[in-house]
Amino acid sequence: MPDILVISAELAWPCAILLAWLCGEFVHRWFGIPRISVYGLVGFGLAQSFPALLGTDSSSAVALLANLAFGLILFEFGYRINLHWLRINPWIAVTGLVESAVTFAVVYAIAHATGLPSMTSLLLASLAMSSSPAGVLRVINEEGSSGQVTERVLHLVAINCVLAVFVFKVIVGVWIFRTSGSLPQAATHSLFELLASAVLGAVFGVAVPFVLRQLGNLARDGTVAFALGVLLLVAIAHATELSPVLATLTFGLMARHRRVAFSRTERNFGGIGELLTVLLFVFAVSTLTWERVMAGAGLGLMLLLARFAVKTACVAAFAHVGGISWRKGALTGIALSPMSVFVILLLEQARYLGIVLVDELAALAAMTLFMEVIGPIITQRALIWAKESSAKEEH
Amino acid sequence: MPLEPFTSSAPLTMGVELELQLVSLSDYDLTASSPDLLHLLERKPFPGNVTPEITESMIEINSDVHTRHAELLAQLQLIRDTLVQAGETLNIGIAGGGTHPFQKWSERRIFSKPRFKEVSELYGYLAKQFTIFGQHVHIGCASGDDALYLLHALSRYVPHFIALSASSPYVQGNDTLFNSARLNSVFAFPMSGRAPFLLRWDDFANGYFAKMEHTGVIKSMKDFYWDIRPKPEFGTIELRVCDTPLTVERAAALASYLQALCRHLLERRDTAPEDAPVEDDYLVYNYNRFQACRFGLDGTLVHPKTYESLSLREDILTTLRKMEPHGAALGGSAGLAHLVEVTHTGSDAQYLRDQFGNSGSVEGVVDAAIHRFRGR
Repeated sequence: MPDILVISAELAWPCAILLAWLCGEFVHRWFGIPRISVYGLVGFGLAQSFPALLGTDSSSAVALLANLAFGLILFEFGYRINLHWLRINPWIAVTGLVESAVTFAVVYAIAHATGLPSMTSLLLASLAMSSSPAGVLRVINEEGSSGQVTERVLHLVAINCVLAVFVFKVIVGVWIFRTSGSLPQAATHSLFELLASAVLGAVFGVAVPFVLRQLGNLARDGTVAFALGVLLLVAIAHATELSPVLATLTFGLMARHRRVAFSRTERNFGGIGELLTVLLFVFAVSTLTWERVMAGAGLGLMLLLARFAVKTACVAAFAHVGGISWRKGALTGIALSPMSVFVILLLEQARYLGIVLVDELAALAAMTLFMEVIGPIITQRALIWAKESSAKEEH
Repeated sequence: MPLEPFTSSAPLTMGVELELQLVSLSDYDLTASSPDLLHLLERKPFPGNVTPEITESMIEINSDVHTRHAELLAQLQLIRDTLVQAGETLNIGIAGGGTHPFQKWSERRIFSKPRFKEVSELYGYLAKQFTIFGQHVHIGCASGDDALYLLHALSRYVPHFIALSASSPYVQGNDTLFNSARLNSVFAFPMSGRAPFLLRWDDFANGYFAKMEHTGVIKSMKDFYWDIRPKPEFGTIELRVCDTPLTVERAAALASYLQALCRHLLERRDTAPEDAPVEDDYLVYNYNRFQACRFGLDGTLVHPKTYESLSLREDILTTLRKMEPHGAALGGSAGLAHLVEVTHTGSDAQYLRDQFGNSGSVEGVVDAAIHRFRGR
């Protein structure tokens, strides 16, 4: 008997991933819903049904793979960002800054008004600023979309993620230094951390393409080399307590500007990248519990609605000066919906703060679950309404 | 519906159409952005004309009717600057080049307009593979008979235009070893190739065209994808073999070369009847065209009348020299000088191959093409 229990525990993750993948394929084919929404739903269902089997801590092999998966997605994300555009059309950056700042302010105000302590409200607000790069990129690739909504969503997500990580770090810094330190000290410390992360990513972004050029035959070797680079980078960032989010994003950005072929056939890092994505999205919700989600549902939903309205309105407000129609502006704002706090938390010092925060913040659990599942669907609809999707049903 | 009568237009006037690539500056792939770009361009008056093309990752611009090279060039440069500026606002790169080096035809989206949807259904993958980018040059003709004479007299020079404009060495991520791989996509269409050998407009309109229409195979002149075709409503002939060059300067130069050639040929019609076009000129036509597509300026031609082998580069240089008085008369000397330069420095196809060598990737090739088009 004990043997069967051991076997079933070992089988739990592979089976969960297989089930999530199968459901994702079928539901996507029948209803056209983004696969990652289904992965999240299946993952949450399984984690509630078999909490003992799917329980993980942040140092397990599954967590490591999830980190790698997220790193790969961020690398690909950075690879598609054109910094030059932000200089030529400053309204993109302005939109990103305003949209993030107003989201922060509104979420903080609502959370604080409902009686949450101010430090908790600040953390919650900083996390609500960001959109999920993984969710957005997966939907864009799945839809094969191209056009202004697609381009702008990618760049705005990059901006709000970097801002979210920065603000989050500053607040954590203040929290930690509260007894002895000061805000400027915390800000300097966080800034230094972010700079170091960016430099680390940039070094990889120069070194890996350089090595590839020496090897020749780019088309064959590129994907593996970049994946290994991401793996190493994530490991180093964890060991040195730098920001893996920023480091992998910078890696992608630098590699892009070195212009080494990373052709469209290798989107999502091919089949293995897809496999890791299933794991990532199942893993991201497996840490949530039903009780906490229910407890925070009311506040969570209210915050989500406010976040949705703010992002849509802010992005739409700058649409015309930015060179697109009001309609496409609003759709860009809508497409920013996906949110995946846990993945960010997981990567950003979860070990000394994350768990505390999750326990305190039932609202966060509700927001995460909701946006893991609904967010990608909203993004997908926005792309279809903007007529930027090239998926089969459009023909 | 019978073919409309040939509108007479001022002889030797010229106009240029360019099909341009819309490239995402994020990943250098084609981007289905023509609706966004056209939306932004509508806000300001456009110095020329811009229209959507069959796939949303392509737009077509065209100049007004010009008589002089300098005017044509000035307008094309103004159009280019307006386009580039709008494109930069939207993170769209605008580029010439006959093909996009690594786009996948299966990912192209068809612009929603009834005619485009029909074409797409009829031709299947050919329509999407038709995501290729050409330059069309119109030359005004006084009459339909003039148009048909020029159309056939020019056939001997078609390889010149292919080699001088060639800018499509890469297709689907690979070097095709062709200088103009784009034309291979055109040849796949059933109504492509050369026009039938008829020299009188009456025979063409009431004979050939009427019969073809009766067969039900074609409905209008638009259904013919010939290398050179008459355009009766404009009163022009339209040369369609050129790849879109990487710069508008070369586009204008090609137009003034064609203009000078037409002037030369119209003069020869009266003074040298032994050079008049005959059906047998076409015996070597496909072979010569292949040589120009495959080897560009390094190709070898067979002269249609003497059957001697000629270096394409030499033949172009000889012809350009012969065109000098016509260029001077028409104000097109600068354009001809530009093309002489091309025969020395190499075609756009060569430039793109060099860029691949420098950057090591097809993305680098696209980036270089975008920079070259900007002209700054």
